Amino acid sequence: MREDMIICRCEEVTYKDIYQTVEHHQCSSRETKLRTRAGMGYCGGRTCRTFVDQIVAEVYGEPSGDAIPLKYRPPVRPIPFKTMGGK
Amino acid sequence: MMKDCLIIGAGPAGLSAAISAAQNGVDVTVIDEFMKPGGRLLGQLHEEPDHVWWNGIEEAQKLFDEVLNQSIDLKLGTSVYHIEKANDNWLVHTNEGIYRGKTLLVAAGAAERSIPIPGWTLPGVMSIGAAQVMTNVHQVKPGHNGIVIGINVLSLAIARELQLAGVHLQGIVLPPEHLLTKGVSHPMDVFQSLLHLTHLAPSPLLKWGGLLAGKSAFIQRLSLQMYPKNGFKLWNISVQMKRVVTEIVGHEQVQGVKTADLTASGDIVPGSERTIPVDFVCIAGGLYPLVELVGVAGCPFKYIPSLGGHVPIHDERMKTPVDGLFVAGNITGIESAKVAKAQGHLAGLSISEALGKLTENAEIKRAIEHIEKTREKALIQFHPDIKKGRKHMETIAADFQKKEVSGQ
Repeated sequence: MREDMIICRCEEVTYKDIYQTVEHHQCSSRETKLRTRAGMGYCGGRTCRTFVDQIVAEVYGEPSGDAIPLKYRPPVRPIPFKTMGGK
Repeated sequence: MMKDCLIIGAGPAGLSAAISAAQNGVDVTVIDEFMKPGGRLLGQLHEEPDHVWWNGIEEAQKLFDEVLNQSIDLKLGTSVYHIEKANDNWLVHTNEGIYRGKTLLVAAGAAERSIPIPGWTLPGVMSIGAAQVMTNVHQVKPGHNGIVIGINVLSLAIARELQLAGVHLQGIVLPPEHLLTKGVSHPMDVFQSLLHLTHLAPSPLLKWGGLLAGKSAFIQRLSLQMYPKNGFKLWNISVQMKRVVTEIVGHEQVQGVKTADLTASGDIVPGSERTIPVDFVCIAGGLYPLVELVGVAGCPFKYIPSLGGHVPIHDERMKTPVDGLFVAGNITGIESAKVAKAQGHLAGLSISEALGKLTENAEIKRAIEHIEKTREKALIQFHPDIKKGRKHMETIAADFQKKEVSGQ
């Protein structure tokens, strides 16, 4: 398989980046997100979150539990800075 | 202005809920991101077993006409980015300002799962749902000569719609086998997943497959070995369970796909690799409940694969453990638009009851029965274990309620 395949499209994080991060740090989806930025882009992880979870489940062995691994936080859609109080 | 009820999502669930709530005197506002009401109904077009065509645009119009007959506020082109509770009321933050309501129904539907494939970020690669929206909603062809990667109920249905719109497809093929395509890339896994759909297929080959559904693994393996490498034709589209796309190629946009033939055990047949020219590619990885907003609202979840993944805990009346928060439609599990409509109708009644505007319990009971009947008659079951998944959720919700009552 092509390891340079992109997994997180917004932040352009590759399969290899994510796989090696989980392997090296033996970490959760959340830690993987913070270390690689996968799932932190424009779409809020809508496309790649299940892929990150799957890699973590496989490599770190964290099975799919009832809690959502990558917590949803507002804003769940991109909004202009001025909505947050900027000018 | 404080409303009795805010509904997020103007699809079959949200609109049906708005109608049944308004009929009971509930003051409703429906909010939707898209500029037209109907949600995913707008993309649907298929023939039912009795040869009647299900035209989603007409179904959406019927619901919209009923909405217009009631005094229901409809805010289209309005995107919700946050919901929160303040003093027992819901605040819904949107790009058009903040809406306030005593109760909230989230009928946000589903999102598409994609499948990572080398080259999938090239322009011209899209999810199968995007191709459906372009074709049936915007009436723009996604391309002239495409290929669909991922064999499942959704891709078969939408491939048929593309074909009806005059879009040429090279076929429906498998994604490459890797860690992220487990269960959807091996010919045997896909073959087995399609066995419960054989009633849909006019093709004698797939019907023949249906006869194998309960048979031994040996017989299933044997029949897969005999499966033609060019696939069988379903509405004249070739479904190729023994062909894989290993890479999508092109300079600045899609120009082709690299394919190879597979043996029944999923190995690439040496020398079968070739490049097929295409100008668009659809990736079909299925659907999952779009739960971001109920997540933000603090609703607890249960992971139930037959419902599509993480779903908000809810009882048989569509009520979540969060006070004043209701759910309906695909957010509760992936099923047909008819089930979503039935669930929305019930949610509207439950909301009326919660607001003290409906005391007739029999009507709610009938609505619950109607959902079950609709599910029973559904043409397409997205997952063969959907009923088990629904039962499981009922038990979870009941346990949850007991715990709440005993203060645990």
